[in-house]
Amino acid sequence: MEQCLDDNMYMVDLGEVNSAAEVIFELSNILDNDEVKNKRIHLRLGDVTLNQAQLLSIKSLINGVDSTLSTIDTKSSDTEKVALSLGIIVSNESEENNTEIKPQTTYTPQEEYKEEQNSEEAYKIVEESDISVTEEQEPVEEQEIIQENVSSQTSQEIVEDTLQEEVKEEISPEATIEQPQNSEQKNDVKDELEVIFGSTPVQTSIFDTELPKEVYETKNELEDIVVPEEEYTKEDLEIESFPTKYIKQTIRSGQVISYEGNIIIIGDCHPGCEIKAFGDITVWGILGGIAHAGAAGNQKARVRALKMNAIQLRIADCYSRRPDSLNTVYVEKTNSFTPEEARIINNEIVVFKIND
Amino acid sequence: MAGRVIVITSGKGGVGKTTTSANIGTALAKNGHSVVLVDTDIGLRNLDLLLGLENRIVYTLVDVVEERCKLKQALVKDKKNPNLCLLAAAQTRDKSSVSAEQLKKITDKLKKDYDYILVDCPAGIEQGFQTAIAGASEAIVVTTPEMSAVRDADRIIGLLEAAEGIESYKLLINRVRPNMIKSNDMMSVEDVENILSCNKIGIIPEDTGIITSTNRGEPIVNNEKSLAGKAYINVARRINGEDVPFLDLDEPKNLVGKLKKFLSGFSKQGKEQ
Repeated sequence: MEQCLDDNMYMVDLGEVNSAAEVIFELSNILDNDEVKNKRIHLRLGDVTLNQAQLLSIKSLINGVDSTLSTIDTKSSDTEKVALSLGIIVSNESEENNTEIKPQTTYTPQEEYKEEQNSEEAYKIVEESDISVTEEQEPVEEQEIIQENVSSQTSQEIVEDTLQEEVKEEISPEATIEQPQNSEQKNDVKDELEVIFGSTPVQTSIFDTELPKEVYETKNELEDIVVPEEEYTKEDLEIESFPTKYIKQTIRSGQVISYEGNIIIIGDCHPGCEIKAFGDITVWGILGGIAHAGAAGNQKARVRALKMNAIQLRIADCYSRRPDSLNTVYVEKTNSFTPEEARIINNEIVVFKIND
Repeated sequence: MAGRVIVITSGKGGVGKTTTSANIGTALAKNGHSVVLVDTDIGLRNLDLLLGLENRIVYTLVDVVEERCKLKQALVKDKKNPNLCLLAAAQTRDKSSVSAEQLKKITDKLKKDYDYILVDCPAGIEQGFQTAIAGASEAIVVTTPEMSAVRDADRIIGLLEAAEGIESYKLLINRVRPNMIKSNDMMSVEDVENILSCNKIGIIPEDTGIITSTNRGEPIVNNEKSLAGKAYINVARRINGEDVPFLDLDEPKNLVGKLKKFLSGFSKQGKEQ
């Protein structure tokens, strides 16, 4: 594992890491370094396949240290697709071509200023790119805005240069800004707010309103045709081999039930409680709290309940929350419920009504 | 400019600390200030419910303190107002999870980025209260015109005066019923002020709309028709340093009442002359 430092680009090589969990683990170790802060990260991955949620958490990890994830180098086509859907640039270039990824125009005035302080070499680049260093006295917040801007702008440029036409179509013509100076002016209050509120939180990345899996939906299994046939995998076997905890009581607000296996609860789970299991969670009653099935990462884990009213559903590393329209005072208890089951389909948590 | 940390406290439970926090916070954010609401009622959190943000909470105050996440990650942005953030309390823990020093550290950090940090204090005078007031430099003491609430408020004011960090405190009198005051069944606002010898920052009338707004998870300041909502907006403006006159709570609702009031005022004027 090597980390090459070239100017503002920071290369993180995780090419030999084989699982998503290890990628995140190694990355978070690397990000603890002070020198990774305020950098654009080039992440090199090997064969490992990452899903949307994993990539998002990697992104927010990197954002957490005020850096941005600018490019990804991966051998897995699935990861590539996911990365593209998130607007991250993917490069399939081989080992030594990193210098080409680094665009010349990426130097923001602020970055140049830093470089200027660091070394004389960097100062030459400033002269080449011919942008005057005038923004030195700006307050910190504005610096952040500009850095965000410019990094997004350059990423678009790279996309245009190197990537497929599909991606080109996604970028609106308005988004491509030619001069960095102009882009600074265009960003007013809105961006400032983003800097204050939205630069790191998991809430905004995972629960971003534009992402489809923000809210879990309830679907009727009969009507839904898109459900892919699921193979019986190791993960299913794992769930079946887990021990099961059997609880016969009402779980009230503030109570936490966690178990390294499956959990069956005969009774209601009131809002404010938390149930965490490595395997499945089955509630014979109304599920109103937070349920986290497959807490150790098992994507095949499921949550079942007679009435699904969970504030949040979490399966493995997928999160979803109850739609705001369902934030009712209480759920009416009736004699007959239609049981519901939540599981992951295409990295989204979907709730099915079980009619038969 | 560093932000202001204001603790909202009362001593007695159920007088409207959380409602006040949610509404003042929303009103300040509506006026364009950046606001963080910090719920310190660990184990009995409600602030998230009042704001309708219950389903968005992933990380809590305790997670921040125990360094399972970054402070910014734990801030839940409001649905409507991007200026407003909530730092929720953990429901599955208790008050001993956060110490006074730890909360002070957090509020000091928040001060740098936000204009107002409103700390919702738990009921009681034990550790939870001591924790909540640790980072604050100002306090709002919420009370109702009942003897029990006024007594508790008196005790709290004593503790606030003894506390090191608190530079100023103001009184907010909640659930005022003008009709009962008129018929001498309720202490008047002036009585409460005199007993506590403390200046008021707001008078909030009793409003059934509060119950509806709590259940819906939408602060009453968003309802422009509500008198309580208006009163909270005025409190927010006063906090911000504006000179806003107190609402006339005697305002009759129907036309006959208005006419009566007008006529009575007219006849009084006549007598004076």
